[in-house]
Amino acid sequence: MNIKRINAIIIRHLYNLKYNLDRLSDSFYWPVIDIILWGLTSQYIQTTGGKVSNIALVLLSGLVFWQVVWRGQYEITVNFLEEIWSQNLVNIFATPLTVEEWIISVLFLGVIKMFVTVSLSILLIWLLYTINILNFGFLLIPFFISLLITGWWVGLFVSGILVMLGRQIQTLAWAGVYLLAPFSAIYYPVSSLPNWAQLISRFLPTSYIFEGMRKVLTKGAIPYSNLVISYILNFVYILLGYFFFKWCFKKSREKGLARLE
Amino acid sequence: MNVLQVNNLKKHFIEKKWWKPGSKPVITKAVDDISFKINEGEIVGLLGPNGAGKTTISQMLLGTLTPTSGEIFYFGKKFTEKTKELLNEVNFSSAYINLPHRIKVIENLDIYAHLYQVKNRKEKIEKLLKEFEVWELRKRKMNQLSAGQKTRILLAKAFINYPRLLILDEPTASLDPDIAIKVRQFLIKQQKEYRVAMLFTSHNMHEVQEICDRIIFLNKGKIIAQDTPRGLIKKLKKAKIKLVVIKGKKILEQYLNKEKVKFYWQKERIVFKTDEEIIPKLLYQLSDQGVRYIEIEILRPSLEDFFLEVVNKEKA
Repeated sequence: MNIKRINAIIIRHLYNLKYNLDRLSDSFYWPVIDIILWGLTSQYIQTTGGKVSNIALVLLSGLVFWQVVWRGQYEITVNFLEEIWSQNLVNIFATPLTVEEWIISVLFLGVIKMFVTVSLSILLIWLLYTINILNFGFLLIPFFISLLITGWWVGLFVSGILVMLGRQIQTLAWAGVYLLAPFSAIYYPVSSLPNWAQLISRFLPTSYIFEGMRKVLTKGAIPYSNLVISYILNFVYILLGYFFFKWCFKKSREKGLARLE
Repeated sequence: MNVLQVNNLKKHFIEKKWWKPGSKPVITKAVDDISFKINEGEIVGLLGPNGAGKTTISQMLLGTLTPTSGEIFYFGKKFTEKTKELLNEVNFSSAYINLPHRIKVIENLDIYAHLYQVKNRKEKIEKLLKEFEVWELRKRKMNQLSAGQKTRILLAKAFINYPRLLILDEPTASLDPDIAIKVRQFLIKQQKEYRVAMLFTSHNMHEVQEICDRIIFLNKGKIIAQDTPRGLIKKLKKAKIKLVVIKGKKILEQYLNKEKVKFYWQKERIVFKTDEEIIPKLLYQLSDQGVRYIEIEILRPSLEDFFLEVVNKEKA
Protein backbone atom coordinates (compact mmCIF):
# COMPACT_ATOMS: atom_id res chain seq x y z
CA MET A 1 0.00 0.00 0.00
CA ASN A 2 1.37 3.35 -1.02
CA ILE A 3 -0.54 6.53 -0.25
CA LYS A 4 1.15 8.42 -3.09
CA ARG A 5 0.03 5.89 -5.69
CA ILE A 6 -3.52 5.96 -4.30
CA ASN A 7 -3.35 9.75 -4.41
CA ALA A 8 -2.15 9.58 -8.03
CA ILE A 9 -5.26 7.69 -9.09
CA ILE A 10 -7.53 10.08 -7.16
CA ILE A 11 -5.86 13.07 -8.83
CA ARG A 12 -6.10 11.36 -12.23
CA HIS A 13 -9.88 11.11 -11.92
CA LEU A 14 -10.24 14.59 -10.47
CA TYR A 15 -8.34 16.02 -13.46
CA ASN A 16 -10.63 14.01 -15.71
CA LEU A 17 -13.69 15.38 -13.91
CA LYS A 18 -12.54 18.91 -14.64
CA TYR A 19 -12.67 18.35 -18.41
CA ASN A 20 -15.54 15.90 -18.68
CA LEU A 21 -18.83 17.54 -17.97
CA ASP A 22 -20.59 14.21 -18.34
CA ARG A 23 -18.86 12.84 -15.25
CA LEU A 24 -19.98 15.89 -13.31
CA SER A 25 -23.52 15.40 -14.50
CA ASP A 26 -23.47 11.82 -13.24
CA SER A 27 -22.96 13.21 -9.77
CA PHE A 28 -25.77 15.74 -9.86
CA TYR A 29 -28.07 15.23 -12.81
CA TRP A 30 -29.48 11.76 -12.10
CA PRO A 31 -30.19 12.29 -8.41
CA VAL A 32 -32.01 15.55 -9.19
CA ILE A 33 -34.07 14.03 -12.00
CA ASP A 34 -34.95 10.95 -9.93
CA ILE A 35 -35.95 12.99 -6.90
CA ILE A 36 -38.19 15.29 -8.93
CA LEU A 37 -39.74 12.56 -11.08
CA TRP A 38 -40.43 10.00 -8.38
CA GLY A 39 -41.15 12.63 -5.75
CA LEU A 40 -43.91 14.12 -7.89
CA THR A 41 -45.27 10.68 -8.78
CA SER A 42 -45.51 9.58 -5.17
CA GLN A 43 -46.94 12.96 -4.17
CA TYR A 44 -49.65 12.55 -6.80
CA ILE A 45 -50.53 9.05 -5.61
CA GLN A 46 -50.60 10.31 -2.02
CA THR A 47 -52.91 13.24 -2.82
CA THR A 48 -55.40 10.89 -4.44
CA GLY A 49 -55.29 8.80 -1.32
CA GLY A 50 -53.93 5.89 -3.33
CA LYS A 51 -57.16 5.73 -5.31
CA VAL A 52 -55.71 6.17 -8.77
CA SER A 53 -57.62 3.87 -11.06
CA ASN A 54 -55.53 1.33 -12.95
CA ILE A 55 -52.35 2.50 -11.18
CA ALA A 56 -50.26 -0.34 -12.61
CA LEU A 57 -51.54 0.32 -16.11
CA VAL A 58 -50.84 4.06 -15.79
CA LEU A 59 -47.30 3.56 -14.52
CA LEU A 60 -46.33 0.74 -16.85
CA SER A 61 -47.79 2.34 -19.95
CA GLY A 62 -46.03 5.59 -19.01
CA LEU A 63 -42.81 3.60 -18.87
CA VAL A 64 -43.39 2.01 -22.27
CA PHE A 65 -44.43 5.23 -23.95
CA TRP A 66 -41.43 7.06 -22.54
CA GLN A 67 -39.29 4.39 -24.22
CA VAL A 68 -40.59 5.70 -27.55
CA VAL A 69 -39.25 9.20 -26.87
CA TRP A 70 -36.03 7.88 -25.43
CA ARG A 71 -35.41 5.46 -28.28
CA GLY A 72 -36.23 8.09 -30.89
CA GLN A 73 -33.61 10.51 -29.59
CA TYR A 74 -31.09 7.86 -28.58
CA GLU A 75 -30.70 6.57 -32.12
CA ILE A 76 -29.76 10.01 -33.40
CA THR A 77 -27.43 11.00 -30.59
CA VAL A 78 -25.65 7.71 -29.96
CA ASN A 79 -25.20 7.00 -33.66
CA PHE A 80 -23.54 10.38 -33.94
CA LEU A 81 -21.31 9.59 -30.97
CA GLU A 82 -20.53 6.19 -32.48
CA GLU A 83 -18.81 7.99 -35.38
CA ILE A 84 -16.80 10.11 -32.96
CA TRP A 85 -15.82 7.11 -30.82
CA SER A 86 -14.62 5.15 -33.81
CA GLN A 87 -12.77 8.16 -35.33
CA ASN A 88 -14.94 7.80 -38.41
CA LEU A 89 -16.63 11.21 -38.45
CA VAL A 90 -14.20 12.86 -40.86
CA ASN A 91 -14.24 9.73 -43.01
CA ILE A 92 -17.97 9.72 -43.55
CA PHE A 93 -18.43 13.46 -43.96
CA ALA A 94 -15.58 13.56 -46.49
CA THR A 95 -17.78 11.41 -48.73
CA PRO A 96 -20.70 12.84 -50.75
CA LEU A 97 -22.98 12.12 -47.76
CA THR A 98 -25.03 15.17 -46.77
CA VAL A 99 -26.22 16.07 -43.28
CA GLU A 100 -29.83 15.52 -44.38
CA GLU A 101 -29.05 12.03 -45.67
CA TRP A 102 -27.37 11.18 -42.40
CA ILE A 103 -30.39 12.43 -40.42
CA ILE A 104 -32.86 10.41 -42.52
CA SER A 105 -30.84 7.21 -42.08
CA VAL A 106 -30.67 7.51 -38.30
CA LEU A 107 -34.36 8.41 -38.09
CA PHE A 108 -35.21 5.31 -40.09
CA LEU A 109 -33.05 3.19 -37.80
CA GLY A 110 -34.77 4.78 -34.81
CA VAL A 111 -38.20 3.69 -36.05
CA ILE A 112 -37.10 0.06 -36.46
CA LYS A 113 -35.36 -0.13 -33.10
CA MET A 114 -38.21 1.66 -31.34
CA PHE A 115 -40.62 -0.89 -32.76
CA VAL A 116 -38.48 -3.73 -31.39
CA THR A 117 -38.02 -2.09 -27.96
CA VAL A 118 -41.67 -1.21 -27.52
CA SER A 119 -42.88 -4.62 -28.71
CA LEU A 120 -40.57 -6.31 -26.23
CA SER A 121 -41.72 -4.05 -23.38
CA ILE A 122 -45.41 -4.63 -24.17
CA LEU A 123 -44.84 -8.37 -24.32
CA LEU A 124 -42.96 -8.34 -21.03
CA ILE A 125 -45.70 -6.33 -19.30
CA TRP A 126 -48.30 -8.75 -20.60
CA LEU A 127 -46.29 -11.79 -19.46
CA LEU A 128 -45.30 -10.44 -16.04
CA TYR A 129 -48.34 -8.39 -15.05
CA THR A 130 -51.07 -9.66 -17.40
CA ILE A 131 -51.73 -6.11 -18.52
CA ASN A 132 -52.36 -5.83 -22.22
CA ILE A 133 -51.57 -2.31 -23.41
CA LEU A 134 -52.52 -3.39 -26.94
CA ASN A 135 -56.17 -3.53 -25.93
CA PHE A 136 -56.13 0.13 -26.87
CA GLY A 137 -53.78 -0.50 -29.80
CA PHE A 138 -55.20 1.53 -32.67
CA LEU A 139 -56.26 4.42 -30.47
CA LEU A 140 -52.69 4.76 -29.23
CA ILE A 141 -50.95 4.76 -32.63
CA PRO A 142 -51.31 8.54 -33.28
CA PHE A 143 -49.81 9.15 -29.81
CA PHE A 144 -46.94 6.78 -30.51
CA ILE A 145 -46.13 8.67 -33.70
CA SER A 146 -46.26 12.00 -31.90
CA LEU A 147 -43.94 10.66 -29.18
CA LEU A 148 -41.52 9.41 -31.81
CA ILE A 149 -41.41 12.87 -33.39
CA THR A 150 -40.65 14.31 -29.94
CA GLY A 151 -37.76 11.85 -29.66
CA TRP A 152 -36.48 13.01 -33.03
CA TRP A 153 -36.41 16.70 -32.23
CA VAL A 154 -34.87 16.10 -28.83
CA GLY A 155 -32.26 13.97 -30.65
CA LEU A 156 -31.56 16.75 -33.13
CA PHE A 157 -31.14 19.35 -30.39
CA VAL A 158 -28.86 17.09 -28.34
CA SER A 159 -26.85 16.08 -31.42
CA GLY A 160 -26.44 19.76 -32.23
CA ILE A 161 -24.84 20.26 -28.82
CA LEU A 162 -22.72 17.14 -29.30
CA VAL A 163 -21.46 18.28 -32.67
CA MET A 164 -20.31 21.51 -31.04
CA LEU A 165 -18.82 20.14 -27.82
CA GLY A 166 -18.03 16.51 -28.64
CA ARG A 167 -17.32 13.83 -26.10
CA GLN A 168 -17.02 16.14 -23.12
CA ILE A 169 -20.80 16.33 -22.98
CA GLN A 170 -21.58 12.86 -24.33
CA THR A 171 -23.76 11.86 -21.40
CA LEU A 172 -26.44 14.09 -22.94
CA ALA A 173 -26.84 11.43 -25.63
CA TRP A 174 -28.69 9.13 -23.27
CA ALA A 175 -29.57 11.47 -20.41
CA GLY A 176 -30.57 14.73 -22.12
CA VAL A 177 -34.13 13.70 -22.80
CA TYR A 178 -34.75 13.05 -19.10
CA LEU A 179 -34.67 16.78 -18.59
CA LEU A 180 -38.14 16.80 -20.13
CA ALA A 181 -39.39 13.87 -18.05
CA PRO A 182 -40.57 15.72 -14.92
CA PHE A 183 -42.57 18.18 -17.06
CA SER A 184 -43.99 15.55 -19.39
CA ALA A 185 -46.56 14.18 -16.95
CA ILE A 186 -45.50 10.63 -17.68
CA TYR A 187 -46.84 9.14 -14.45
CA TYR A 188 -48.97 11.98 -13.05
CA PRO A 189 -51.26 14.70 -14.44
CA VAL A 190 -49.96 18.17 -15.27
CA SER A 191 -52.23 19.58 -12.57
CA SER A 192 -50.17 17.89 -9.87
CA LEU A 193 -47.09 19.92 -10.88
CA PRO A 194 -46.24 23.26 -9.21
CA ASN A 195 -47.43 26.29 -11.18
CA TRP A 196 -44.06 27.19 -12.68
CA ALA A 197 -43.60 23.59 -13.83
CA GLN A 198 -47.10 23.53 -15.30
CA LEU A 199 -46.15 26.51 -17.42
CA ILE A 200 -43.16 24.64 -18.84
CA SER A 201 -45.20 21.51 -19.44
CA ARG A 202 -47.69 23.54 -21.52
CA PHE A 203 -44.93 24.04 -24.08
CA LEU A 204 -44.03 20.37 -24.24
CA PRO A 205 -45.91 18.07 -26.62
CA THR A 206 -45.16 15.14 -24.32
CA SER A 207 -47.40 16.52 -21.57
CA TYR A 208 -50.38 16.55 -23.97
CA ILE A 209 -49.49 13.10 -25.25
CA PHE A 210 -49.15 11.42 -21.87
CA GLU A 211 -52.30 13.06 -20.54
CA GLY A 212 -54.10 12.04 -23.71
CA MET A 213 -52.82 8.50 -23.50
CA ARG A 214 -53.96 8.15 -19.93
CA LYS A 215 -57.43 9.23 -21.04
CA VAL A 216 -57.34 6.58 -23.77
CA LEU A 217 -56.28 3.93 -21.27
CA THR A 218 -58.74 4.88 -18.57
CA LYS A 219 -61.71 6.12 -20.60
CA GLY A 220 -61.15 4.45 -23.95
CA ALA A 221 -61.64 7.64 -25.97
CA ILE A 222 -59.17 9.79 -27.92
CA PRO A 223 -58.85 13.38 -26.66
CA TYR A 224 -58.36 14.98 -30.07
CA SER A 225 -57.39 18.39 -28.72
CA ASN A 226 -54.37 16.87 -26.90
CA LEU A 227 -53.35 15.07 -30.05
CA VAL A 228 -53.63 18.13 -32.29
CA ILE A 229 -51.70 20.39 -29.89
CA SER A 230 -48.95 17.79 -29.55
CA TYR A 231 -48.61 17.55 -33.33
CA ILE A 232 -48.50 21.32 -33.75
CA LEU A 233 -45.83 21.67 -31.07
CA ASN A 234 -43.88 18.74 -32.49
CA PHE A 235 -44.00 20.24 -35.96
CA VAL A 236 -42.57 23.52 -34.67
CA TYR A 237 -39.88 21.83 -32.59
CA ILE A 238 -38.80 19.38 -35.27
CA LEU A 239 -38.27 22.29 -37.64
CA LEU A 240 -36.33 24.17 -34.97
CA GLY A 241 -34.37 21.00 -34.14
CA TYR A 242 -33.43 20.48 -37.78
CA PHE A 243 -32.25 24.05 -38.24
CA PHE A 244 -30.44 24.00 -34.90
CA PHE A 245 -28.56 20.82 -35.84
CA LYS A 246 -27.70 22.24 -39.27
CA TRP A 247 -26.47 25.46 -37.72
CA CYS A 248 -24.38 23.61 -35.12
CA PHE A 249 -22.93 21.37 -37.82
CA LYS A 250 -21.97 24.41 -39.87
CA LYS A 251 -20.38 26.05 -36.83
CA SER A 252 -18.55 22.84 -35.99
CA ARG A 253 -17.22 22.60 -39.54
CA GLU A 254 -15.78 26.08 -39.06
CA LYS A 255 -13.73 24.68 -36.18
CA GLY A 256 -13.08 21.38 -37.94
CA LEU A 257 -14.85 18.05 -37.50
CA ALA A 258 -11.50 16.36 -36.91
CA ARG A 259 -11.23 18.00 -33.49
CA LEU A 260 -14.17 15.93 -32.25
CA GLU A 261 -12.37 12.61 -32.79
CA MET B 1 -5.70 19.86 -66.80
CA ASN B 2 -5.88 21.03 -63.20
CA VAL B 3 -7.53 18.53 -60.91
CA LEU B 4 -7.17 20.90 -58.00
CA GLN B 5 -6.74 24.62 -57.81
CA VAL B 6 -6.53 26.49 -54.54
CA ASN B 7 -6.76 30.27 -54.56
CA ASN B 8 -5.81 32.44 -51.58
CA LEU B 9 -6.93 29.89 -49.04
CA LYS B 10 -6.98 31.08 -45.44
CA LYS B 11 -7.92 29.48 -42.17
CA HIS B 12 -7.76 31.66 -39.13
CA PHE B 13 -8.92 30.21 -35.83
CA ILE B 14 -10.32 32.87 -33.54
CA GLU B 15 -10.46 32.06 -29.88
CA LYS B 16 -12.35 34.43 -27.68
CA LYS B 17 -12.91 33.91 -24.02
CA TRP B 18 -16.56 34.95 -23.96
CA TRP B 19 -16.66 34.54 -20.19
CA LYS B 20 -13.99 37.23 -19.83
CA PRO B 21 -15.54 40.49 -21.04
CA GLY B 22 -13.04 42.80 -22.68
CA SER B 23 -10.53 40.04 -23.43
CA LYS B 24 -8.94 40.28 -26.86
CA PRO B 25 -9.54 37.42 -29.26
CA VAL B 26 -6.51 35.22 -30.01
CA ILE B 27 -6.12 34.64 -33.74
CA THR B 28 -4.15 31.65 -34.99
CA LYS B 29 -3.33 31.77 -38.67
CA ALA B 30 -3.21 28.05 -39.41
CA VAL B 31 -3.28 28.61 -43.16
CA ASP B 32 -2.45 32.05 -44.41
CA ASP B 33 -3.25 32.95 -48.00
CA ILE B 34 -1.94 30.01 -49.95
CA SER B 35 -2.48 29.20 -53.63
CA PHE B 36 -1.38 26.14 -55.55
CA LYS B 37 -2.60 23.68 -58.12
CA ILE B 38 -2.23 20.01 -58.92
CA ASN B 39 -2.29 18.69 -62.46
CA GLU B 40 -3.79 15.42 -63.62
CA GLY B 41 -1.58 12.49 -62.67
CA GLU B 42 0.74 14.62 -60.58
CA ILE B 43 1.88 13.67 -57.09
CA VAL B 44 2.46 16.73 -54.97
CA GLY B 45 4.05 16.54 -51.55
CA LEU B 46 2.93 18.83 -48.78
CA LEU B 47 5.83 19.21 -46.40
CA GLY B 48 6.48 21.26 -43.35
CA PRO B 49 7.17 21.06 -39.63
CA ASN B 50 4.44 20.28 -37.11
CA GLY B 51 1.84 23.03 -37.06
CA ALA B 52 2.72 24.21 -40.57
CA GLY B 53 -0.88 23.78 -41.74
CA LYS B 54 -0.69 20.51 -43.70
CA THR B 55 -3.60 18.76 -41.98
CA THR B 56 -5.65 21.97 -41.93
CA ILE B 57 -5.30 22.20 -45.71
CA SER B 58 -6.26 18.52 -46.13
CA GLN B 59 -9.35 19.01 -43.98
CA MET B 60 -10.44 22.07 -45.95
CA LEU B 61 -9.97 20.18 -49.20
CA LEU B 62 -12.23 17.43 -47.88
CA GLY B 63 -14.92 19.82 -46.73
CA THR B 64 -14.68 18.85 -43.07
CA LEU B 65 -13.25 22.26 -42.19
CA THR B 66 -14.63 25.51 -43.57
CA PRO B 67 -12.00 27.95 -44.84
CA THR B 68 -12.02 31.51 -43.52
CA SER B 69 -11.67 32.70 -47.11
CA GLY B 70 -10.35 31.58 -50.46
CA GLU B 71 -11.54 29.23 -53.16
CA ILE B 72 -11.10 25.56 -53.98
CA PHE B 73 -11.73 24.20 -57.47
CA TYR B 74 -11.75 20.51 -58.37
CA PHE B 75 -11.61 19.67 -62.06
CA GLY B 76 -12.49 23.28 -62.83
CA LYS B 77 -15.63 23.26 -60.66
CA LYS B 78 -16.08 25.28 -57.50
CA PHE B 79 -16.05 23.02 -54.44
CA THR B 80 -18.64 24.99 -52.47
CA GLU B 81 -21.10 24.82 -55.35
CA LYS B 82 -20.73 21.17 -56.37
CA THR B 83 -19.60 19.58 -53.11
CA LYS B 84 -21.47 16.26 -53.43
CA GLU B 85 -20.51 15.71 -57.04
CA LEU B 86 -16.86 16.57 -56.46
CA LEU B 87 -16.40 14.55 -53.28
CA ASN B 88 -17.45 11.52 -55.30
CA GLU B 89 -14.23 11.87 -57.28
CA VAL B 90 -11.92 12.55 -54.35
CA ASN B 91 -10.88 10.30 -51.51
CA PHE B 92 -8.41 10.31 -48.71
CA SER B 93 -6.49 8.30 -46.21
CA SER B 94 -4.75 9.35 -43.07
CA ALA B 95 -2.80 7.70 -40.32
CA TYR B 96 -4.92 9.65 -37.86
CA ILE B 97 -8.36 8.38 -38.74
CA ASN B 98 -10.03 5.03 -38.37
CA LEU B 99 -12.96 2.94 -39.42
CA PRO B 100 -15.64 1.59 -37.04
CA HIS B 101 -13.80 -0.79 -34.71
CA ARG B 102 -16.47 -3.41 -34.21
CA ILE B 103 -17.24 -3.95 -37.87
CA LYS B 104 -15.45 -6.39 -40.14
CA VAL B 105 -13.02 -5.10 -42.76
CA ILE B 106 -15.19 -6.23 -45.66
CA GLU B 107 -18.30 -4.69 -44.10
CA ASN B 108 -16.50 -1.38 -43.59
CA LEU B 109 -15.44 -1.27 -47.21
CA ASP B 110 -18.95 -2.19 -48.27
CA ILE B 111 -20.27 0.85 -46.35
CA TYR B 112 -17.88 3.14 -48.21
CA ALA B 113 -18.64 1.47 -51.54
CA HIS B 114 -22.30 2.34 -50.88
CA LEU B 115 -21.46 5.91 -49.86
CA TYR B 116 -19.53 6.44 -53.10
CA GLN B 117 -22.14 4.52 -55.12
CA VAL B 118 -19.52 2.12 -56.49
CA LYS B 119 -20.69 -0.39 -59.09
CA ASN B 120 -19.54 -4.04 -58.76
CA ARG B 121 -18.80 -3.49 -55.10
CA LYS B 122 -17.79 -7.05 -54.28
CA GLU B 123 -15.31 -7.32 -57.15
CA LYS B 124 -13.80 -3.92 -56.44
CA ILE B 125 -13.35 -4.67 -52.72
CA GLU B 126 -11.78 -8.05 -53.46
CA LYS B 127 -9.40 -6.53 -56.02
CA LEU B 128 -8.28 -3.79 -53.61
CA LEU B 129 -7.83 -6.08 -50.62
CA LYS B 130 -5.73 -8.41 -52.74
CA GLU B 131 -3.65 -5.56 -54.12
CA PHE B 132 -2.85 -4.38 -50.60
CA GLU B 133 -2.24 -8.00 -49.53
CA VAL B 134 -4.93 -7.95 -46.85
CA TRP B 135 -7.52 -10.23 -48.45
CA GLU B 136 -7.07 -12.76 -45.66
CA LEU B 137 -8.07 -10.07 -43.12
CA ARG B 138 -11.45 -9.39 -44.72
CA LYS B 139 -13.45 -11.16 -42.00
CA ARG B 140 -11.55 -9.63 -39.12
CA LYS B 141 -12.92 -6.70 -37.14
CA MET B 142 -10.98 -3.45 -37.31
CA ASN B 143 -10.08 -3.64 -33.62
CA GLN B 144 -8.34 -6.96 -34.27
CA LEU B 145 -5.86 -5.46 -36.73
CA SER B 146 -2.34 -4.16 -36.20
CA ALA B 147 -1.55 -0.51 -36.99
CA GLY B 148 0.06 -1.50 -40.29
CA GLN B 149 -2.89 -3.65 -41.32
CA LYS B 150 -5.31 -0.81 -40.50
CA THR B 151 -3.28 1.57 -42.63
CA ARG B 152 -3.57 -0.77 -45.61
CA ILE B 153 -7.33 -1.14 -45.12
CA LEU B 154 -7.65 2.66 -45.01
CA LEU B 155 -5.69 2.86 -48.24
CA ALA B 156 -8.04 0.31 -49.79
CA LYS B 157 -10.92 2.54 -48.68
CA ALA B 158 -9.21 5.51 -50.31
CA PHE B 159 -9.23 3.76 -53.70
CA ILE B 160 -12.75 2.38 -53.46
CA ASN B 161 -14.36 5.06 -55.66
CA TYR B 162 -11.67 5.23 -58.39
CA PRO B 163 -10.73 8.74 -57.24
CA ARG B 164 -9.20 11.26 -59.60
CA LEU B 165 -7.54 12.96 -56.68
CA LEU B 166 -6.30 11.36 -53.51
CA ILE B 167 -5.41 13.23 -50.35
CA LEU B 168 -2.97 11.15 -48.36
CA ASP B 169 -1.96 12.29 -44.90
CA GLU B 170 1.06 10.20 -43.89
CA PRO B 171 -0.37 7.11 -45.55
CA THR B 172 2.62 4.88 -44.86
CA ALA B 173 3.09 5.81 -41.19
CA SER B 174 3.32 2.67 -39.05
CA LEU B 175 4.01 0.39 -42.02
CA ASP B 176 6.94 -2.00 -42.13
CA PRO B 177 9.55 -0.89 -44.69
CA ASP B 178 8.75 -3.74 -47.10
CA ILE B 179 5.02 -2.96 -47.05
CA ALA B 180 5.73 0.77 -47.32
CA ILE B 181 7.73 0.08 -50.48
CA LYS B 182 4.83 -1.95 -51.90
CA VAL B 183 2.37 0.80 -51.06
CA ARG B 184 4.56 3.39 -52.77
CA GLN B 185 4.82 1.15 -55.81
CA PHE B 186 1.04 0.76 -55.82
CA LEU B 187 0.55 4.52 -55.63
CA ILE B 188 2.97 5.12 -58.49
CA LYS B 189 1.22 2.42 -60.53
CA GLN B 190 -2.15 4.14 -59.97
CA GLN B 191 -0.62 7.42 -61.01
CA LYS B 192 0.78 5.97 -64.21
CA GLU B 193 -2.12 3.73 -65.21
CA TYR B 194 -5.10 5.84 -64.22
CA ARG B 195 -3.55 9.33 -64.03
CA VAL B 196 -4.64 9.61 -60.38
CA ALA B 197 -3.35 12.84 -58.86
CA MET B 198 -2.25 12.84 -55.23
CA LEU B 199 -1.61 15.34 -52.50
CA PHE B 200 0.80 13.62 -50.20
CA THR B 201 1.97 14.56 -46.72
CA SER B 202 4.63 12.58 -44.94
CA HIS B 203 7.44 12.99 -42.48
CA ASN B 204 9.47 10.43 -44.38
CA MET B 205 11.65 12.67 -46.57
CA HIS B 206 13.06 9.74 -48.49
CA GLU B 207 9.54 8.68 -49.39
CA VAL B 208 8.52 12.17 -50.45
CA GLN B 209 11.65 12.51 -52.56
CA GLU B 210 10.94 9.17 -54.20
CA ILE B 211 7.26 9.57 -54.92
CA CYS B 212 6.51 13.25 -55.45
CA ASP B 213 6.80 15.14 -58.70
CA ARG B 214 6.62 18.43 -56.88
CA ILE B 215 6.82 19.61 -53.30
CA ILE B 216 5.05 22.46 -51.58
CA PHE B 217 6.92 23.45 -48.49
CA LEU B 218 4.86 25.08 -45.75
CA ASN B 219 5.80 26.89 -42.62
CA LYS B 220 3.44 28.67 -40.24
CA GLY B 221 0.60 28.42 -42.72
CA LYS B 222 2.48 29.93 -45.65
CA ILE B 223 4.11 28.39 -48.70
CA ILE B 224 7.79 29.13 -48.39
CA ALA B 225 9.03 27.06 -51.32
CA GLN B 226 7.51 25.15 -54.19
CA ASP B 227 9.60 23.08 -56.57
CA THR B 228 10.57 19.59 -57.65
CA PRO B 229 12.43 17.62 -54.94
CA ARG B 230 15.65 18.14 -56.90
CA GLY B 231 14.90 21.86 -57.29
CA LEU B 232 14.39 22.29 -53.54
CA ILE B 233 17.61 20.47 -52.75
CA LYS B 234 19.47 22.63 -55.24
CA LYS B 235 18.49 25.65 -53.19
CA LEU B 236 20.86 24.32 -50.56
CA LYS B 237 24.35 24.94 -51.82
CA LYS B 238 26.21 23.48 -48.89
CA ALA B 239 27.40 19.90 -48.82
CA LYS B 240 28.41 18.00 -45.72
CA ILE B 241 32.03 16.79 -45.60
CA LYS B 242 33.35 14.09 -43.32
CA LEU B 243 37.10 13.59 -43.08
CA VAL B 244 39.11 11.01 -41.13
CA VAL B 245 42.18 13.12 -40.35
CA ILE B 246 45.46 11.45 -39.46
CA LYS B 247 47.69 14.55 -39.41
CA GLY B 248 47.12 18.27 -38.87
CA LYS B 249 43.93 18.21 -36.80
CA LYS B 250 44.76 21.55 -35.13
CA ILE B 251 45.67 23.17 -38.44
CA LEU B 252 42.33 22.04 -39.84
CA GLU B 253 40.40 23.39 -36.85
CA GLN B 254 42.22 26.73 -37.06
CA TYR B 255 41.55 26.92 -40.77
CA LEU B 256 37.82 26.22 -40.33
CA ASN B 257 37.59 28.74 -37.48
CA LYS B 258 39.29 31.35 -39.64
CA GLU B 259 36.85 30.67 -42.46
CA LYS B 260 34.00 30.76 -39.93
CA VAL B 261 32.90 27.25 -40.81
CA LYS B 262 31.09 25.38 -38.05
CA PHE B 263 32.39 21.89 -37.38
CA TYR B 264 32.10 19.03 -34.91
CA TRP B 265 33.90 15.80 -34.22
CA GLN B 266 32.19 12.46 -34.71
CA LYS B 267 34.73 10.12 -33.08
CA GLU B 268 37.74 10.35 -35.43
CA ARG B 269 35.79 12.17 -38.14
CA ILE B 270 35.51 15.91 -38.45
CA VAL B 271 32.23 17.03 -39.95
CA PHE B 272 31.56 20.40 -41.53
CA LYS B 273 29.44 22.01 -44.21
CA THR B 274 30.72 24.09 -47.09
CA ASP B 275 29.63 25.36 -50.49
CA GLU B 276 29.73 22.58 -53.05
CA GLU B 277 31.59 24.82 -55.51
CA ILE B 278 34.61 25.41 -53.29
CA ILE B 279 35.18 21.81 -52.19
CA PRO B 280 38.07 21.13 -54.64
CA LYS B 281 39.80 24.40 -53.68
CA LEU B 282 39.30 23.72 -49.97
CA LEU B 283 40.75 20.22 -50.15
CA TYR B 284 43.73 21.51 -52.07
CA GLN B 285 44.37 24.23 -49.49
CA LEU B 286 44.12 21.76 -46.59
CA SER B 287 46.55 19.45 -48.28
CA ASP B 288 48.86 22.38 -48.94
CA GLN B 289 48.84 23.24 -45.21
CA GLY B 290 49.84 19.72 -44.24
CA VAL B 291 46.49 18.23 -43.33
CA ARG B 292 46.40 14.52 -44.17
CA TYR B 293 43.26 12.33 -44.24
CA ILE B 294 42.65 8.72 -45.12
CA GLU B 295 38.91 8.85 -45.76
CA ILE B 296 36.63 11.47 -47.25
CA GLU B 297 32.86 11.44 -47.53
CA ILE B 298 30.99 14.19 -49.34
CA LEU B 299 27.26 14.20 -48.66
CA ARG B 300 25.19 16.24 -51.08
CA PRO B 301 22.24 18.04 -49.51
CA SER B 302 18.99 16.11 -49.21
CA LEU B 303 15.37 17.05 -48.73
CA GLU B 304 15.86 16.38 -45.04
CA ASP B 305 18.59 19.04 -44.96
CA PHE B 306 16.19 21.47 -46.58
CA PHE B 307 13.56 20.61 -43.97
CA LEU B 308 16.04 21.02 -41.12
CA GLU B 309 17.34 24.30 -42.47
CA VAL B 310 13.83 25.76 -42.56
CA VAL B 311 13.06 24.52 -39.07
CA ASN B 312 16.38 25.74 -37.66
CA LYS B 313 16.01 29.15 -39.30
CA GLU B 314 12.63 29.44 -37.68
CA LYS B 315 14.02 28.52 -34.26
CA ALA B 316 16.90 30.98 -34.65
